[in-house]
Amino acid sequence: MEKTNTEYVVQMKGITKVYPNGIAANQSVDFNVREGEIHALMGENGAGKSTLMKMLFGLEQPTEGEIYVRGEKVHLTSPTVAIAHGIGMVHQHFMLVPSLTVAENIVLGIPPRKGIFIDYKKAVEITEEYAKKYNLHVDANAKVMDIPVGMKQKVEILKALVRGAKILILDEPTAVLTTQETAELFKELIHLKNQGYTIIFISHKLKEIKEITDRMTILRGGKSMGVYDTKDTTEQEISRLMVGRDVVLSVEKDQAQPTDVVLRVKDLEYTNEWNRKMLNKVSFAVRKGEILGIAGVEGNGQAELVEMLFNLNQPDGGTAEVNGKNILGVDQDRIRAMGVSLIPEDRMTYGIAGDGTIEENLISDRCDKKKFNIGPLFNMRAIHQESDRLIDEFDVLCKSNQQQVKMLSGGNIQKVVVAREFSSDPILIIADQPTRGIDVGATEFIRKKLVELSRAGAAVLLVSADLNEVIELSDSLMVFYGGQISAYFEDTSSINDEIMGEYMLGLKHQSEEEIRRVCHEG
Amino acid sequence: MFSQLMSMVLTEDFLFSIIRITAPILFAALGAVVAEKAGVTNIGLEGTMMISALLGMLVSYWTQSWVLGVLMAVLVGILLGLMMGFFNLKLKTDIILAGIAVNMLGGGGTIFLLNMLVHMKGNTGSLSSANILIPTINIPLIDRIPVLRSLLSGHSVLTYVAFLSVLLVWILLYRTSLGLNIRAVGENANAASSVGVSVNKIRYIAIGISGAFAGLGGAFMSMYYSQGWNSGMVAGRGFIALAAQAMGRGEPVGAMLSSLLFGLAQALKNKVTGLTGLASYNYLVASIPYIVTIVGLVIYAASTIRRAKRHRKASEEK
Amino acid sequence: MKDKRMTLFNFVRGAAAILISLAVGTVFIFLTFALAEKHYTFGECLENTGEALRYMLIGPLFKKTGDFNTMGLFQILAAMIPITFTGLATCVMFSANQFNLAGEGSVMAGGFVAALCGIYLKMNTGLHAVVCIVVAAAVCALIMLIPALLKVKLGASEMVTSLMMNYVIMYVVLHFLNVHFADRSKGSTQTFPFAATSKIGEIIPNGSKLTWGFVIAMVFVVLTALFMYRTRWGYAIRMIGANQSFAKYSGMKVGGTIVLSQVVGGMLAGMGGGIEVMGRFNTFLWKELPGYGWTGVTIAILAKNNPIFVPLAAFFIAYLNKGCSLMSTYCNVPSEMIDIIQAAIFLFFAAEQFLSGYRQKLVVKNTRADLMKTAEGRKA
Repeated sequence: MEKTNTEYVVQMKGITKVYPNGIAANQSVDFNVREGEIHALMGENGAGKSTLMKMLFGLEQPTEGEIYVRGEKVHLTSPTVAIAHGIGMVHQHFMLVPSLTVAENIVLGIPPRKGIFIDYKKAVEITEEYAKKYNLHVDANAKVMDIPVGMKQKVEILKALVRGAKILILDEPTAVLTTQETAELFKELIHLKNQGYTIIFISHKLKEIKEITDRMTILRGGKSMGVYDTKDTTEQEISRLMVGRDVVLSVEKDQAQPTDVVLRVKDLEYTNEWNRKMLNKVSFAVRKGEILGIAGVEGNGQAELVEMLFNLNQPDGGTAEVNGKNILGVDQDRIRAMGVSLIPEDRMTYGIAGDGTIEENLISDRCDKKKFNIGPLFNMRAIHQESDRLIDEFDVLCKSNQQQVKMLSGGNIQKVVVAREFSSDPILIIADQPTRGIDVGATEFIRKKLVELSRAGAAVLLVSADLNEVIELSDSLMVFYGGQISAYFEDTSSINDEIMGEYMLGLKHQSEEEIRRVCHEG
Repeated sequence: MFSQLMSMVLTEDFLFSIIRITAPILFAALGAVVAEKAGVTNIGLEGTMMISALLGMLVSYWTQSWVLGVLMAVLVGILLGLMMGFFNLKLKTDIILAGIAVNMLGGGGTIFLLNMLVHMKGNTGSLSSANILIPTINIPLIDRIPVLRSLLSGHSVLTYVAFLSVLLVWILLYRTSLGLNIRAVGENANAASSVGVSVNKIRYIAIGISGAFAGLGGAFMSMYYSQGWNSGMVAGRGFIALAAQAMGRGEPVGAMLSSLLFGLAQALKNKVTGLTGLASYNYLVASIPYIVTIVGLVIYAASTIRRAKRHRKASEEK
Repeated sequence: MKDKRMTLFNFVRGAAAILISLAVGTVFIFLTFALAEKHYTFGECLENTGEALRYMLIGPLFKKTGDFNTMGLFQILAAMIPITFTGLATCVMFSANQFNLAGEGSVMAGGFVAALCGIYLKMNTGLHAVVCIVVAAAVCALIMLIPALLKVKLGASEMVTSLMMNYVIMYVVLHFLNVHFADRSKGSTQTFPFAATSKIGEIIPNGSKLTWGFVIAMVFVVLTALFMYRTRWGYAIRMIGANQSFAKYSGMKVGGTIVLSQVVGGMLAGMGGGIEVMGRFNTFLWKELPGYGWTGVTIAILAKNNPIFVPLAAFFIAYLNKGCSLMSTYCNVPSEMIDIIQAAIFLFFAAEQFLSGYRQKLVVKNTRADLMKTAEGRKA
């Protein structure tokens, strides 16, 4: 067995991961964790944190690089192997079976037995024993579907501990917790640390990191930005390392000449199924001829806002109007008829039907139009013309308009979506992560089109986790934090990354007066 | 006419026939329950019952042993289940289509087999004799108590097995580690595989068990209920069992209650068919069990929606 | 180039599935002889199997003398009529991901309703037949509203409801047949004969039962294909089947379209039943479900839910059916062989992973070729 530096309990050396679709999620990342520490793995969405941890838990295999556990080189081919090496992971989306009890979930796969029967009493005993030992209080006999989120998380941690994990990976554990639950979790984690456990803590919340971790590794764009001692690093420094832009690419655009308000959102509220307030009285307005950006770390209410605006979910309160007409709870065909377009965040779920042809995907919103029908029949010539025109105009690389969309590359699939959404003469375009995960060429193309349309008079609401994109493209910019608008910049040209980072990570919050300017009332 | 009907219904004989008619549906419904708990919809129950019924009957004839016949029926059920599993889990044939294929085998394939094996057409006619039918058991003492005796005594061995199986399936699902795995796989396959439970293996086992129950149902039909095999014998009982599973909320006891409801409808139909005044309604009455099934499904679906609404409202108020 | 190769692959795969199915059938035919009452030697068994296969595979179209059997062809085409309709019906419903299996009951209901119209309405020749078929289609379309609405409004599984409805329809039809419309003068239960004005005549009067219904069936193949691929409603049906979330987001009426797909399915199946009854028989005499609905499912699977391929698949099944019945007549191998072969075709044809290793190799090869091409393009 190859041996290496035994100072570290986990050592990942020169890890590169290229996914089959060509995206390089990690590039030569080194990641070392000492025994008994709480180590933060930080970075924005898409920085490569989850990929790195999936490799450590055996869910993915690195394309290049080596992994050592306690100095021994390991090949983590599956979670079972990782568990055998004492690595446990608490996923962001819980891996629990709702109708089973807490004890049953904890012993799933390794139940104590009496003959052919499960020794359920023993399972409860085991659960309670571990719960007591690690100060993780759970109700062993309750069904998982009936317990609060905070307890579910404890069940997940217990699951890992019962299986003998000494190294715990927690993937954004506080994302679903309330403040009190978070405080409780931290107490429990410190308790675990004191008993010699090693904890890897994925997060992008600065306060939490400062509060609980010993050291941190920061990732940005798939590369490591270095390892730091938490106590010697200021929040501002972290924010700069995490959020800074690698290359400042500039998009050429004229000064916006915004006129009338097109979309007006007032006091929008939404509490999700886990009782977390995802939108807290959000109010803003988007004007004709401008691009209003929404920056922010993901999970701060942006996705929910977009869902509400396109009737993919129902808000608890508030209003949203396009040119004075309500759009909340209105069927999608009527929303579209009002001139609203959406580039959805999840293009494979909403954006396309993969089995359909390019042409079929291009006309899905306009197949009812007179232009494309002769009596009951489609006007195939008009449809072919339309699809060829769009393929040409939006530069979709394909063999013909009859090719299956799922056979295209990610960038070209997104171009199909964009071609459809941009070509319906929209007066309002909602673009949610319009260039995520696609190649540079397609990205540049889509950004240019977006600017073009806004200058031609469309109102654009741009949601993007890519700071570079949202700053460069937007004329004015909001920052979302904790379901609220935490800042509004009327002019994006003077924004500095450092300040942005502080708003995004909740270190700063503008005054209400400053924020209210985005409503453009009077 | 109504009073005539009532007097017929309120007899011990009627109670007895409900139990007798329910048993095969119950077997298949339990099969549906086990498969569905593992996340597999076994629409092939109907065909599985047909094939096991035939082969079970033939083996009992050849060996002159009803026990071997029943074992054969179970074995055939398991094999058919595993075959569906192979096509669904390994070759990714849609489970519904795999089930339809098994039903085709149950429809025409059995007639072919019957001819191939014993050179008969459409039914086994003279093959079955009293000594190879599944025997009945009279329970001493109880067979002297009115009403109770028709519920508990004088039924076939398999009838007792059917109702006992409700308990067995419940124990399997809720008291054994296999059951725990089955429920976990059916509800959240990712959670199960993340702790090293092999999803495919569990599904194979579940659909095999499901087939075994359908096999028992088939054996009951040919070796007791109809006293011989014929091509129209199962008559949608496998499909009714699917509905019983759905109506019983996927639980063994619920499935039993739904099966009893269908048994009641069927028994009622049999009674009415014998009534002179209602003779002309024979066919309409025959459709009652199926209509009851649809109505039952509708009530179940509506109540599920209402419950979801109430749940949402409650969580909002919180 | 890439797509051509995939097409070829799909063709090879389909052919392999059919060959395997025929091989399975052959094994059973051999067993039939091996286990026959008359004890054959091994050689005789082989010989008989060969003879049976000849009847099954070549017999439908060629006489023993080797001459082409024109009558056989007519009969096969005639047999295609009802199953073409049920195949089309299944294509439409499965395209929307609706596993509605009430095609079976719809055929019976359609047949019965058409028969009643044929007996009791007084009309001119030609118009009478059309009215019979239209009423049959309309009634079955209405019947299908039940599973469709229960699915859309309550989320009840259309599969289970439709299966139950098959039996309900059968018993209701039998009730009316026996109690209200039976011709008591006949030995077996049947209706009075249809009026001559309502009969669907043979294209060439030669007793083959190849009626104008065949032409109607082919017209409906084209109409259904047009509906599915050339109208906004068929398009919506297919998109909902491909990705329901996408359809909703695009602004399509998902619930309404799901109902539409099943109503159209019922209409087609009912029409098939009506045409079959009015063309093949003089009275209505079905005493059980005719089985065309299930055959329709096989046909839809073979046609990959594309209406244009339905006649091909229907021809194949009708041909095999004829072959099996010839085999049964001349070789004493039961005609139910068809169900064994159909089941095998079903399993292999619908198996996504069947021969997938080979496909994977093709994909890798294609990707590599594409990459090379792009590289060359860049150099140039």
